[in-house]
Amino acid sequence: MKTETKDRLRAILGEANFSDQLIDLVSYSSDASEHLHRPDAAAWPTSAEQVQAVVRLANEEGFPVTARGAGTGLSGLSVPSRGGLVLDLGRMDRILDISIGDRVAVVQPGVVYADLAKALEPHGYMFPPDPASGKACTLGGNVGTNAGGVKGAKYGTTRDYVLGLTVVLGDGRLLRVGNRAMKSVSGFDLTRLFVGSEGVLGIVTEIILKISPQPLATATTLAIFDDLEDAGRAVSGVMASGVIPSVLEIMGRETLRAINQNTDLALPEVDAMLLAETDGCTQGEADYQMERVVEQFRAHNPREVKRAESAAQAAGLWKARKSCYPVLARLRPNFMLEDITVPMSQVAPMLRGIQDIAARHRVQIATFGHAGDGNLHPQILYDAADPAEKERVEAAIHDLFALAVELGGTLTGEHGIGLSKAPYMDLEHNPVAMELMRSIKKVCDPNNILNPGKMGLDG
Amino acid sequence: MMTDQHPLLEKFRDQIQRCSRCGFCQAHCPVFGGTQRPALNARGKMLLLKEVLEGRLELGQELVESLFQCTSCASCAANCPSGVDVPAIIKAARKEMVGLGTCHPAFSGMDQVLDESDNIYAEDEPGDFDRQRGGRAEVVYFMGCVGQYREEEATEAALDLLDHLEVDYTLIDEVCCSGVLEDVGFAIKPRLARANMERILATGAKTLVTGCPYCYRTFGKQEAYAPLREAGLEITHLSQFLAGRDLGLHSDLKVTYHDPCDLGRHCGIYDEPRRTIQAVAPDFVELADNRQDALCCGAGGGVRGAYAKNSLVMARRRLAQVEESGAQVLLTECNSCVHNLANAKLRAQKFKIMTTPQFLMELIEES
Repeated sequence: MKTETKDRLRAILGEANFSDQLIDLVSYSSDASEHLHRPDAAAWPTSAEQVQAVVRLANEEGFPVTARGAGTGLSGLSVPSRGGLVLDLGRMDRILDISIGDRVAVVQPGVVYADLAKALEPHGYMFPPDPASGKACTLGGNVGTNAGGVKGAKYGTTRDYVLGLTVVLGDGRLLRVGNRAMKSVSGFDLTRLFVGSEGVLGIVTEIILKISPQPLATATTLAIFDDLEDAGRAVSGVMASGVIPSVLEIMGRETLRAINQNTDLALPEVDAMLLAETDGCTQGEADYQMERVVEQFRAHNPREVKRAESAAQAAGLWKARKSCYPVLARLRPNFMLEDITVPMSQVAPMLRGIQDIAARHRVQIATFGHAGDGNLHPQILYDAADPAEKERVEAAIHDLFALAVELGGTLTGEHGIGLSKAPYMDLEHNPVAMELMRSIKKVCDPNNILNPGKMGLDG
Repeated sequence: MMTDQHPLLEKFRDQIQRCSRCGFCQAHCPVFGGTQRPALNARGKMLLLKEVLEGRLELGQELVESLFQCTSCASCAANCPSGVDVPAIIKAARKEMVGLGTCHPAFSGMDQVLDESDNIYAEDEPGDFDRQRGGRAEVVYFMGCVGQYREEEATEAALDLLDHLEVDYTLIDEVCCSGVLEDVGFAIKPRLARANMERILATGAKTLVTGCPYCYRTFGKQEAYAPLREAGLEITHLSQFLAGRDLGLHSDLKVTYHDPCDLGRHCGIYDEPRRTIQAVAPDFVELADNRQDALCCGAGGGVRGAYAKNSLVMARRRLAQVEESGAQVLLTECNSCVHNLANAKLRAQKFKIMTTPQFLMELIEES
């Protein structure tokens, strides 16, 4: 980047909100994926006008602009793979409005998920997606990735809560889409187009979110299955039973073994463990739903079904699930955490397939995930310093994606395509879909300024 | 594999690579919280050191602003899913950098000061607390540099309290424990450690009580002070020494407590101070972040000296939590925390900030 360009950026943003210092360039060179590329400069805009001015300059000078929240993403979508400017929106972090009457919260993109949760709590409200990185990730990032979490089966993902957006397009124009109303069929649903668009169409500068009342009561049960097929049938049974659990998590054999090797939880090393939570306005409502869930568990040959009688017991049942990430993160020097998603009826075949793929390619894959919405997290554990192992990992990942698509599923349920899955877009989307996506990209960002190289849109 | 160019850092290669870059430390790091600059967060520091170990980055001057701007509060390590001991790694990196001739001037200044002076402030006259020094007693009270030269009132209160409790104690002609040098790239001065140890042991005391959590850590854990432990001396912090004593005091004030990082996360002392405070002030409230999750006051790791402005910003974030709690008094067990928090307090913030002994002595004097 030329010195004059940097000077112009300083003039737009102010000295304190621009940097080309080495420490910043290195810190913006990655996210939580394995991808790495340094930007040429970094900026912390504080208004939509600044974002517009930066994007206009980028068009004039031809440098890429990559928007970034907290950088907790797992697919490399905020890694500036072609250099240019990283636009860290973390300092646009004001909650502009919380209206319980309208059931909306209006926020800037840099608000941390947990800070909104904290602000909503006294009102008895929540913003439900609950991503695992909630204490650090930002709402702008949630919109960019269409973030989800453990409660997806009942509460959906970010997309289901975004009512409106203010967006700076790739040519610098300011777009307002959506509104504060609970329903709208006015024109194309442009709001949804931008949710999960990974910063390739525009940079979000304001978000109108629908918020939900917090459930007042929960019930929790853990079930252990010797046989994966039984667990799979139990999941299908639960989802067809007429109640929708707020949580229905699954942990596979390799995950249980890893947890046992690294904690004193002493879990049974079986094919699958299911954790279910139901919620409602009264304990009776939560319990009624849990009874339906437990009936389904019992109907499918469980080794054991443990229902929590108290909050303390419920916390105990959650322990195994909560230890998945920290345990698996420590097992080997590196890991990749995937998020393939399949129709609910295909959870068991997918889990079986993951085991076969791991054996075939001689790689270690521990799987856990959100069985209630078919979103699985195979975590591939390896040592990046061993090139032969890395090659086997890549081959295994290809097979994982191919199987997910074959079973009627998708490459990604909540992490996004970014760089990691860009080469596999054609597996899932037919040429017409790819062409349409590229056309939309061109309309919004004619000079390919915004986050180029992501989503497989420009090769 | 790289050559053994950075032997101190090399020991942590496995840990540095283990950082999965999840970024969860951003929720806890006080430097990030105050600056919203990821380069200063624990993950940012690990990324730099990973590149250093891979030979892609030089461990030079350009990294100082990140690697020397860490309060060593250890909240990142306490919350790291991958179990990376960031403070230990930062310590090693700073020593490595100093070895290569790169350092923040404030830190090399600290090392130089302690070559020439016996205290970290290069003060000539120690505070006169009008107490016996170097006598024979059951207990030695070690106040530390902040207590001796900056927060004299807190030290006075601690000594008054010991008098009130009729503890058989003596002061010594103490010199800086120099433990902080280990955190900022240098090493404890054997001359100072020797002087402290000789003077402490000469009193024949069975117990060493420190007013400063950092001195407590240093005497209790550092190799240079092993002879104290080998001599069978019990090393305690004043808060432990006071815990469980019936002081017969009562306050109706709404009180809260700030966990000093050196006492809390570094030494696991959370309950003892609370026991003393809650017995006296039943209207006790916790701050939003407390115990293992306590937010740092921003003073540690040499940051107050080297990055004063950011240190104040961090203190203000902690003070905002005090304001939120509605407490009338903020108590803590660390003179350095009191010093930084009191400096940062805004005029509109009406609560008082003091050490627990100061609070207790006020009650004793009122009754």
